[in-house]
Amino acid sequence: MGWIPDRYRELRSRLRPERLGDDIAEEIEHHLSLLTEDYIRRGMAPDAARRAALERFGDVERYRAAAQAIDESHLRERRRMEHLDAIRRELRHALRGLGRNRSFAVATVLTLALGIGAVTAIFTVLYSVVLSPLPYAEADRLVYIDSPVPGSSLVSRGGAWGLSQAGYFHFRDNSRAFEHIGVYAGAFSSDVRFNLTDDRGARRVPGMAVSAGLFDALGARAVVGRLFTAEEDRPGGPDVVVLGHDLWQREYGGDPAVVGSTIELNLEPRQVVGVAAPGFHLPDRRVDVWVPLQLNPAARPANHHYLAAVGRLRPGVTAADAEQDLARLTAQFTELFPTAYSEAFMRETGFSTQVRPLRDVVIGDVTQTLWILLAAVGLVLVIACVNVGNLFLLRAEARRRELAVRRALGAEGGHLAWQHLTESLMLVLLAGALALGLAHAGVRLVLALAPAVLPRLDEIHLGASAVAFTAAVCLVLGIVFGLVPLTHGRDFGALHEGGRGLTGGRLPVRRTLVAGQVALALVLLAAAGVMLRSFQNLREVDPGLEAARALTVQVAIPSQRYRDFDATNAFYRELLQRVEALPGVVAAGATTDLPLDGETGCSSVWVENGPPGPGEEPPCVRTTLAAPGYFAALGIETRGRAFTWSDNERRADGVLVTRALAERFWPGQDPIGKGLRPQGGEPPYWRVIGVTGDIRDEGLDRPPIEAVFFPLVPAPDRPLWSPPRALTLVIRAATDRPGSSRRPFARSCGSWTRPCHWAGSARWSR
Amino acid sequence: MRLELLQGTLDMLVLRALTQGPMHGYAIARWLEERTDEALRIEEGSLYPALHRMQKRGWVVSQWGVSENNRRARYYTLTPAGRKQLRAEAATWGRFTAAVMKVLEAEPA
Repeated sequence: MGWIPDRYRELRSRLRPERLGDDIAEEIEHHLSLLTEDYIRRGMAPDAARRAALERFGDVERYRAAAQAIDESHLRERRRMEHLDAIRRELRHALRGLGRNRSFAVATVLTLALGIGAVTAIFTVLYSVVLSPLPYAEADRLVYIDSPVPGSSLVSRGGAWGLSQAGYFHFRDNSRAFEHIGVYAGAFSSDVRFNLTDDRGARRVPGMAVSAGLFDALGARAVVGRLFTAEEDRPGGPDVVVLGHDLWQREYGGDPAVVGSTIELNLEPRQVVGVAAPGFHLPDRRVDVWVPLQLNPAARPANHHYLAAVGRLRPGVTAADAEQDLARLTAQFTELFPTAYSEAFMRETGFSTQVRPLRDVVIGDVTQTLWILLAAVGLVLVIACVNVGNLFLLRAEARRRELAVRRALGAEGGHLAWQHLTESLMLVLLAGALALGLAHAGVRLVLALAPAVLPRLDEIHLGASAVAFTAAVCLVLGIVFGLVPLTHGRDFGALHEGGRGLTGGRLPVRRTLVAGQVALALVLLAAAGVMLRSFQNLREVDPGLEAARALTVQVAIPSQRYRDFDATNAFYRELLQRVEALPGVVAAGATTDLPLDGETGCSSVWVENGPPGPGEEPPCVRTTLAAPGYFAALGIETRGRAFTWSDNERRADGVLVTRALAERFWPGQDPIGKGLRPQGGEPPYWRVIGVTGDIRDEGLDRPPIEAVFFPLVPAPDRPLWSPPRALTLVIRAATDRPGSSRRPFARSCGSWTRPCHWAGSARWSR
Repeated sequence: MRLELLQGTLDMLVLRALTQGPMHGYAIARWLEERTDEALRIEEGSLYPALHRMQKRGWVVSQWGVSENNRRARYYTLTPAGRKQLRAEAATWGRFTAAVMKVLEAEPA
């Protein structure tokens, strides 16, 4: 270190804290003694001279302390600079070392980046979906209330029903466990949409009818205006609406003046009273428009469990406590609502009420899958680390001689270790930065590929948690790799080796690493192979329909203009005939429920001379309405015949059933001509006129569905539900690029009736 | 006469003193006294915080040596940075005094 001038070196050695004070004192004393000598020379006595000197000098202690303080801060500053210099030096050395070995650096960084990136991406998903709390205030006090019915064959999602109106009011008014209970009409339907119409056109937006208490339960707040009041939530209350934040930004540019204006939802004018906070949605779906549910407490109690219920527990109350409290109230149902909740009903269905943390309900059983996925990419990272560890060992071996020389020249072990650590930390941090970029892309890939049933999809984004995770992983890896070369240690034998070649594979460690790597890679390959096989098996399953060339369009018509079955039938007939006339269209049809669309509801049917017997529950099967042309448009093969418009004209009583349903009710027999009907078991029955092949609606790994297809108009004395005002059109195109039919169709549809929303090509979730 | 000196001015004077060569604190005080014919007498203790501050700023460096009377003393030496600082402060001082003189020499009304 000869470049440091002697003066500085002396300064540094002098600048030790203990000596600082002493030096200054000595300096000052020197001055004082010279002054004293002056006065003595002028004839003063020694004591008087000293006193005069002190007076001339000034407050010794004050000046000494001031000088010392300055020196101490000087010392601190220099120490700081030294540290920074040392770090800069280490970094420069490390960079130079890596620059000499560029292929090593590149290989290490890329390998680690891939491993760390993959793990970070999956961790992000896991964190957002499973680990982070729900986006509501004090979300750990939120619970979901529903009614398990183990004895019933009519099951909807999760094997439990929602609440009935009577049940909800009874709980709300009498339970001691909840601060608030709110409900929404969503226990059965997963995708509720409203037609939003204004001078820009019509579009369908997700929405929900909710009770005012739901906003309180979820801790919602409005950013503009307000939310519903209890008064507005009464039957006959005003037609109001609260907008979702995204919709407000998207459609109204975030203009606060929209509050107080009127918008048209399902052709009914509603006044906007407020805008919800950003990111506020229901726990299981996005909501762009909120309308009041306006339940009637005085309505006749009915056995209709369509309400999804969320409750906010009182502080200190657990879900188990709440469940007990509600069980107490449920036991009163038979007494309070004898017609709806008869004793026989309660006994047969095993009706009860359960309270579960909202988080568990929302996340469902996705947790296990995600952890398995994390383990899989963790395995990839381990393989990457083993690979890199091997590279580090190789490099350490290559530098054995260099290390030995430096040791011989007096470099301390600690210093060398620090250098290795700096190198490996630099590499790992570089890999980490790259990994974050890869993880970002990975998360976007996951979002694109993820099934819509992955809960909390909106909340997945790369955030501080992911960065912290990456940093932690990098730190650990950096330290581990930094210590690797030390296993090599004190090997002066290297100095005696002639030549500059490497000797390879001397260490048993390396052999273990290689073996481990191969083993892990085999495990991963095997797992990947199995998964590929299952996926392939799924792809080979015939869904029973041909989705490739089919386009779907959602159409909804207003109830005021189309009041009955004849009117709706006429509309769809006209529409479908026009569509079929378009060039490039081979067939067109329509239905109330698309297959593989995620809806899994069912309705009861009664079979002629068949189930249900007396005292039995009627079987629950999929029931859909289908317009003529539907089966041809979707490529569903049928035996017998399908619907025609003349059938609808003369109100024929024909239905189609799937093969699976026919097998269930009339095993071994020809189903054509057999009778069934919904809503009651007396004649006249609908007649089966055709049988479709197997249709796999609930997923390609589930058995084919049992379904009945009804025509658009009911036969005399054979009721259907309500006139179908919301249908999904299915259009089969002649070409492989069905998108080209889009515009002519939109023109023909849009010019004719306004609520016509183009949904895009059919995309089936498998 | 004992004039009150501002801190910046004291620094400038000390730096000028050190252009004569390395000095210890006592020597600086004597040189200043002599140059001003005893018109300027500072409280001599105040030299030391000033010297240490200038050392921290890199305008001077110090070294222990042996003084005329065979005692151990700390000698301060001007650095190139210190010389530069001296030139700058002297220039500022000159402008300051010129400005003040202009005010004082203004014609009385």
